[in-house]
Amino acid sequence: MGTLLNLLPHLVNGITLGLLFALIALGFMLILGLMEQINLAHGSLFALGAYFAYAICAPRLPLPPDVLGMWAAVPLGWRFAAAVVLAPILVAPFGLVLERLMRRTYGRDPLYGLLLTFGVAMVLEELIRMVWGTRDYILPVPREMSGGFIMLDLIWSTYRFWAAALAIVAMAGVWAIVERTRFGAMVKAGAHDSEIVQALGIDLTRLRVWVFVLGTMLAAFAGVVLAPLWGIRPHMGVDAVVPAFLIIVLGGVGSFWGAAIGGLLVGMVVGLSGAYASEWSMLSMYLLLIAVVTLRARGLFGKKSVLEV
Amino acid sequence: MRKSRNSATSLSRRTIMKGSLMAAAASGTATFFGPWRHNRVWAQGAKPIKLGLTCDASGQYGNSGQDDLRGMRLAIDEFNVKGGVLGRKIEWTTADTETNPATGTRIAERFIAQEQCGFLLGAVHSGVANAITQVAAKYGTIYFNTNSSAPSEAGENCSRVKFVWDGNGTNFSKAAVQNALEKIGKRWLLLTNDYVWGHTTSAATKAQVEKAGGQIIDNLLIPQNTRDFTSYLLKVQQIKPDVIATAVGGDDIKALRQQVSDLRLEDKAAWINNQQDWPDIWGAPETLFGVFGTTWYHLLPLPGIAEFVKRWQTAYPQSPIPVPGNVSYNGYMATRELLRAIVRAGSTNNLKVIKALEGHKMTAADRMQHFDAYIDPATHQVQQTIYLARRNAKPVDKTDLYEIISWTKPESALDDAAPGKCKLKPDAEVPSYEI
Amino acid sequence: MAPGRLVPTFTPAMLVSWLLFATVPMWIERVGLYQYLGVEILIFAIYALAYNLVLGHAGLPSFGHGAFFGIGAYAFGLAQFNLAASLWVGLAVAVLAAGLGGTLVALFISHRRGIYYALMTIAFGQVFWFIAIKAHSITGGEDGLLKIERLPVALGIVTFDLRDNTALYYFVLAVFVGVSLLLWRLVHSPFGRIVKAIKQNETRARFVGYDVWRYKAAVLIISAALSGLAGGLFSMAQTSAFPDVMSLHYSGYVVMMTLVGGGLVSFWGPVVGAVAFFLARDMIGALTTGWMLWFGLFFVALVLFKPEGIAGIFAGLATRKHKTTSAPVSNPQPQER
Repeated sequence: MGTLLNLLPHLVNGITLGLLFALIALGFMLILGLMEQINLAHGSLFALGAYFAYAICAPRLPLPPDVLGMWAAVPLGWRFAAAVVLAPILVAPFGLVLERLMRRTYGRDPLYGLLLTFGVAMVLEELIRMVWGTRDYILPVPREMSGGFIMLDLIWSTYRFWAAALAIVAMAGVWAIVERTRFGAMVKAGAHDSEIVQALGIDLTRLRVWVFVLGTMLAAFAGVVLAPLWGIRPHMGVDAVVPAFLIIVLGGVGSFWGAAIGGLLVGMVVGLSGAYASEWSMLSMYLLLIAVVTLRARGLFGKKSVLEV
Repeated sequence: MRKSRNSATSLSRRTIMKGSLMAAAASGTATFFGPWRHNRVWAQGAKPIKLGLTCDASGQYGNSGQDDLRGMRLAIDEFNVKGGVLGRKIEWTTADTETNPATGTRIAERFIAQEQCGFLLGAVHSGVANAITQVAAKYGTIYFNTNSSAPSEAGENCSRVKFVWDGNGTNFSKAAVQNALEKIGKRWLLLTNDYVWGHTTSAATKAQVEKAGGQIIDNLLIPQNTRDFTSYLLKVQQIKPDVIATAVGGDDIKALRQQVSDLRLEDKAAWINNQQDWPDIWGAPETLFGVFGTTWYHLLPLPGIAEFVKRWQTAYPQSPIPVPGNVSYNGYMATRELLRAIVRAGSTNNLKVIKALEGHKMTAADRMQHFDAYIDPATHQVQQTIYLARRNAKPVDKTDLYEIISWTKPESALDDAAPGKCKLKPDAEVPSYEI
Repeated sequence: MAPGRLVPTFTPAMLVSWLLFATVPMWIERVGLYQYLGVEILIFAIYALAYNLVLGHAGLPSFGHGAFFGIGAYAFGLAQFNLAASLWVGLAVAVLAAGLGGTLVALFISHRRGIYYALMTIAFGQVFWFIAIKAHSITGGEDGLLKIERLPVALGIVTFDLRDNTALYYFVLAVFVGVSLLLWRLVHSPFGRIVKAIKQNETRARFVGYDVWRYKAAVLIISAALSGLAGGLFSMAQTSAFPDVMSLHYSGYVVMMTLVGGGLVSFWGPVVGAVAFFLARDMIGALTTGWMLWFGLFFVALVLFKPEGIAGIFAGLATRKHKTTSAPVSNPQPQER
């Protein structure tokens, strides 16, 4: 019983962590699901979201001083809310450009898309270094969302639960779009058989653009939500894209619930191993992946996909 | 950044190499391409003396590395205004060592072989310092570790060509542990950054705690570049120690401080942060808590400091950190003492400069510290005043973040184990050179 | 290539490159570079050639090759400290250890293809990298395994000292020539032809009766072992072994080198790529700290417009008079260039 009580906080930590991981993986899953493209630049878009949020929240923007002064006088709560909304919109054009570049790789070996986005990720990371420098930033959190509260006799970070709640909201939104709208139906159909979709008179090119923009904005949103927890630094993108990649394969390509459950599973494994061997906890997710994929070739909920060609 | 302008001068070195190759062939020995240990001799005269400044500009210690650089440049500029050293101008070059040992190796090779630097200075990360030391030792190049404070730097990883300018983990532990143990409690928890500085510093703390009758209940290893400390903080709360001693550095300690103060965990136990570097403090002063060590503070009530701070500020009006801290101070002191040693030696010959440094005494007034300091001839570490500080409740200005609570004589904070671990090579085995 | 046709032991391009490499120490300092850079370039050329066996010749996208390079580096150092202070023992252990690592990975992934293969190699790469960082007592953790000696080349009656960078350069050059001859031979052997057939159509190859799994495993193991050899040389060059060569970034660099050079279409492409990569790093790097930005842009442009890489550009220029189209090849093959 004592052990169980000791473990409980780590389990709770694992679940919140898992929701955050799932949030990161969400946009990645969307692009992979419809476009059958691995977007390794997902992490860089995530990082850009965090940096834009910082620029909005901690005003050092290239604006006239009086405008800047007025903006700085706005309460942090509003500035943070503005960042949550605006940062994904500001990052969206990057996704548009990336989609344009990727068009050349459609229909070719998916390896080319992978390599292209790997190069783009590198370029974006360097751009971030040039604009913001190599130092770390901390995204300020509004007073209402920061601080701690007591649960299970321990002090917990309030913001962590806010972040988990935002992750649930985003996931519910994506679920509603994919499962409950005409757009979602087209996306799913396109993932299944692009020729039929085109035969039905649906503009696949435009559909792809919208999916890519949605995926990009989700990446940026995840970046904003996670910035106060993980800090902002140039290579934060790599820290995000690798778990995202891993969760998708674990959960199974093309499955919404696979991504959600994959994320939770990874979070729990990292959280629980943190209780016993904290310095090894990040390794646990890779071991989990190797174990699962060795036993189930397509992950937990995966269907056959282009990745096996 | 300045670039090398004298690639043509490298010719002479090549010629020597060829010469030794032929000599070896002629003498009929089986060792080709040798003897490897040749003496570099370059044309004398008004040729500038070039220093290679190995400062991180990115990675965990990017901020500190650049603050280190500001101190070094100030010292160089001050000598150049006075006409240089031995009538020769001081030139410098720097490159980003990226808080990465492999990069440190490559930069050191480049500085010595390509840029013809006679002396290397700079490091905050012990792994980078180690890597540079290896290359420097191979060529006999004198290297000043300005700011890496791993006890191993002047212990098992010491070198005849290296001098260590920061107080190390053992010095700070000795100054802090005894007192905290008596006043606060015996159950200690260690938080350790997972690399040499963290490990050796925590080992030093552990030894001090156990010697004084305390108990280490756990040691949590924190990977470098950790930003989310939630699982560690949960464990800290479950373990409920009396004292938490951290050996966490750079951006990691900044993130940890942020999360601890956000949760108001600083009052749950006494925190002892081994050494806090000023650039790490300046980024987030509101999260400062606990007791921590330093070697210098810009508002110490000692003569000369105000004037030094003014010179530094005049040189760097745009600096992201408005006043010099311990890191910039170490960079300045190390560079100044190197140049003075060259003057004392009357030569840039490395062995003569090393002789001029070993055992050298520096007065308290000269060092702007409370007590006299000296370069330990057995370990090449600068033994200096060790300060303990805590957050200042009554600051006189916005840079006045520390309240200095004690200063310990170098002799009382001495790392007794270091001389036993440090084996300096005899002079005869050090390749000699003169630039 | 028609089966049975006699393949020369090496090509003119290879011979010219070897001779050119042999003159490098005589002028590298005059052009403002340094001997140590030459050593790193040659080591990574060996590494990229070995890597291309997997990527270019077998069409298997490994993104975790840094693990094998790193295992070789640590193995060289550990052999020196614990077994015998001999260059040959060290290099043999490096090759064996990396080959063993390759075998372990091959057991898990040889039935995989495409992106799943890439993903599993990333996962294994990360696992090895983590172990290297965490196993302090063995590897020295994040600070690396230090004080590795550059052991002399003992050839019975004569001994060459390698502590000087120029001497080490010539030793690495000798290994480089050996490895390139070996790989050239291998690629053109019956084994190499079957690997190529598997790359073109795995299902057909299986149908014809080849044990595809064993060939794919063998390719990875050989490539891993030779990457380990390069790693062993690297630990000697750096007199240390560090974990970061095993990171995802470094594994990505070798992919970039191989592709930029034109490993997909040319046997010699990876060598071109390694040279281009290091020259870009040192020369653009001296002008701006953001050299990776320019190299990354160049890489993106190549993937988009010329996946055959630098070698492909040259080949395109050479064959322009024949009006050969240079449309992107969907499944390009390394040719004998």
